[in-house]
Amino acid sequence: MTAPADLREFISAYLVEAEEHLAVANTQLLAVEAAQRSGSTNPRAVRETFRSLHTIKGLSAMVGVEPIVAIAHRMESFLRDFDRSGGTIPPRAIDALLKGVRAIEHRVTALGRGDSAAPPSDELLTELDSMGLAAGPIARMPEASLNLDPAILAKLAPFEVDQIFRGISQGMRALRAEFSPSPARAAEGLTINSVRERVATVADIVRVLPRATPITPDSPGGLSFVLLLLTRATNEVLVQAGGLAASAFHSIAREVTEADAALQPSIAEVLTNSADDQSFDTQTRRGVVRVDVNRLDEAMEGLSALIVTRFRLVRSIAAMNERGVNTRELSQIMTENSRQLRDLRAALVRVRMVPVSELLERVPLLVRGLCRATNRAVRLELEGGSAELDKSVSERLFPVIVHLVRNAVDHAIESPDERLRRGKPEEGLLRITCSARGSAHLEITISDDGRGIDRAAVAQKAGRTSPSDNADLLGLLCIPGLSTREIASTTSGRGMGMEIVKRTVVDELGGELEVASELGVGTTFTLRVPLTISIVDAFSFECGEQRFVVPVSMVDEIIEVDPSGVVHVPANDDGSPSVDIISRRGVAVPMIQLSQVFRLQPGAKASPKAIIVRRAGAPIAFAVDRMLGQQEVVIRPVNDVLVRAPGVSGATDLGDGRPTLVLDLVALSVSLNALPHALGASR
Amino acid sequence: MSLHVVFTLAGVEYALPVAAVLQMETFAGATFVPGAPAYVAGIVTVRGLVVPVIDLRVRFGLPPAELTTDTRIIVTEAQGRVVALRVDTAREVLQLDIEKHQPAPSVVSERASGFVQAIHALGPRLLLLVDLPKILGEKSHDHSPLLLDDDGAKARPQLPG
Repeated sequence: MTAPADLREFISAYLVEAEEHLAVANTQLLAVEAAQRSGSTNPRAVRETFRSLHTIKGLSAMVGVEPIVAIAHRMESFLRDFDRSGGTIPPRAIDALLKGVRAIEHRVTALGRGDSAAPPSDELLTELDSMGLAAGPIARMPEASLNLDPAILAKLAPFEVDQIFRGISQGMRALRAEFSPSPARAAEGLTINSVRERVATVADIVRVLPRATPITPDSPGGLSFVLLLLTRATNEVLVQAGGLAASAFHSIAREVTEADAALQPSIAEVLTNSADDQSFDTQTRRGVVRVDVNRLDEAMEGLSALIVTRFRLVRSIAAMNERGVNTRELSQIMTENSRQLRDLRAALVRVRMVPVSELLERVPLLVRGLCRATNRAVRLELEGGSAELDKSVSERLFPVIVHLVRNAVDHAIESPDERLRRGKPEEGLLRITCSARGSAHLEITISDDGRGIDRAAVAQKAGRTSPSDNADLLGLLCIPGLSTREIASTTSGRGMGMEIVKRTVVDELGGELEVASELGVGTTFTLRVPLTISIVDAFSFECGEQRFVVPVSMVDEIIEVDPSGVVHVPANDDGSPSVDIISRRGVAVPMIQLSQVFRLQPGAKASPKAIIVRRAGAPIAFAVDRMLGQQEVVIRPVNDVLVRAPGVSGATDLGDGRPTLVLDLVALSVSLNALPHALGASR
Repeated sequence: MSLHVVFTLAGVEYALPVAAVLQMETFAGATFVPGAPAYVAGIVTVRGLVVPVIDLRVRFGLPPAELTTDTRIIVTEAQGRVVALRVDTAREVLQLDIEKHQPAPSVVSERASGFVQAIHALGPRLLLLVDLPKILGEKSHDHSPLLLDDDGAKARPQLPG
């Protein structure tokens, strides 16, 4: 991208807004298609699509992303044609439009990664061009008749010049406005984004162009934006709405000739038609702030630091207390402080929450594409509910849902012919539901009425015996690299396997995954995930002179171990950790010495404790030296390959400035079974 | 000319380009991570980031040393990873003329398992320039079978149909 460095700060806001409008375009295009399939039309959806693309085009031009401008412009122009012809879009054109939206999405994603947006392929442009209803050639005036700096004129695309002339011919005034961002103006709420939004309420913005200017007191950044406008509003109205001085507006029309006035009205019609809707939008948008999720993370980071500092305060107060200092008042203050921190945390967590519907809004498009690619007929039922979940959880879950939906359409649901032969309705059913489970968990089910999973076939592929129950079946499905299809299909062959689904849901998010499947009847996957992550309630304990924490949600029970009741099971001589058996309420529970697994020096055990977790429903105990307490901890990722270890899910700071390992005892017990030598093997 | 951080291990001076160094810190011990390679002293928190610490003595096959007030960690960044190196001392930052780097004699590079990339003679002093990516280890540490996804398709076992 060739945008000047100063534009970078606008890019993140641009990306957020562009993604929003892309989502709208997708949804509305599908609505158009759905309406047409049922024999009616949905002109409003056509206009909404048009408006989204129009906005994307404008935003992209502002930050200088020409490839997106080129694609969006073509889509916009033929949507305009369809709108004029009554709102019916041929199926072939809907495909082309969806393809265009996808092409824009790819480029927005690339920009988000810091890459540049690739120029659109000729193929796509030709396809989009060929879709238009051959709008008559536009009578062109020489560009020189615009009162514009040649440098600016050179940056305008032909369609933009056309737009200006059409506007003028309809009696609108064509104006150039100039805005220079400065800290002082930003403090008054005047940024290029706010100016653009405000001006847009009274004028059509043809183009916003950044340009370098000499650094003056008026333009301390050496950057200004030229806005080219078409409006019927008076200068006073513009000044009032836009927050710019009257001197900022200059006319760019030289003179209007008779011939110009005879031009057919077009764009303006659509834009004025939708004026009512636009005012509705500004109404509902008021009071909503779009925020880059990184900024929220910064705030969360600040809160994490506060929580760590609080631990330190509590410790030093305890130390004072031990020295005999009266700390009653301090303790009261700390109690209040604790409550305030909790409230602040809850408020921040709420800010990060997004509705589940956002997670599901792209599923219809996905299903549609899959059906096309695989010749399946699928009816999608979505039950989103009103639950909200943390943005980071939502982002991790999305690929999981994509995978399960792909599997359902591609593998599970039979072709229409086969379904008819089996006495099923021609159209397969894919049902996705989301519902809150308690205050902290979300349950998502993805079910289909397809062929069900053939247990024997899966077992044969994996070279194992046939699974006896659903839990066993899930275990088999999650074996890395297992695929029940011989040929990698275009839709599901690549991409992640079930093992990644499990890793995301169970290991990363600390949730649960279940499957229920009946041959010939269908399959249901159930996911239960926490609504938020990163700050968790945890037990801290000591083992082998080292402190660890384990999330409370993972712990079934903490019990005292009566040394006389421990049965030692003879260990293999291969160095794998030995297993003891303890009795809990008359049930034998295997117990593993954590210090032995981690090769730590066993500490002095005054009163040994065991932490019991459940692995696939069965209890398993980890013996530790001493429980220390329970507190909220901030989990930081431990990512580097050097320190990625089974059973370690992150690190936290308990107030001593040193990281304390956060353990995932369930994963640890699994890894002990799977790879007896995994731990300590490199030591 | 390019700035280098000079650090010592068992009395020998080593150098590392400043460009690869994020910061230097005193070292008061790291949190042990079970299952990590023996040359990893553990993890520390640096500016809110959890960072592994490589004990360079162990990495270079030297006998381990007690903690002293001179012990430092050098927080480095290479190939998108942030990793700290524990060294005996790190006190000096010097301008070195890269042109004057001499390739390490094969005896040296073999003895040091390739961790020494070049030698720089600075008056009477000999500085050994270390190969940071080699010290941090290639990404090949990363051989978790769970990471086979997209491109793992090739590696899928041929299962009987």
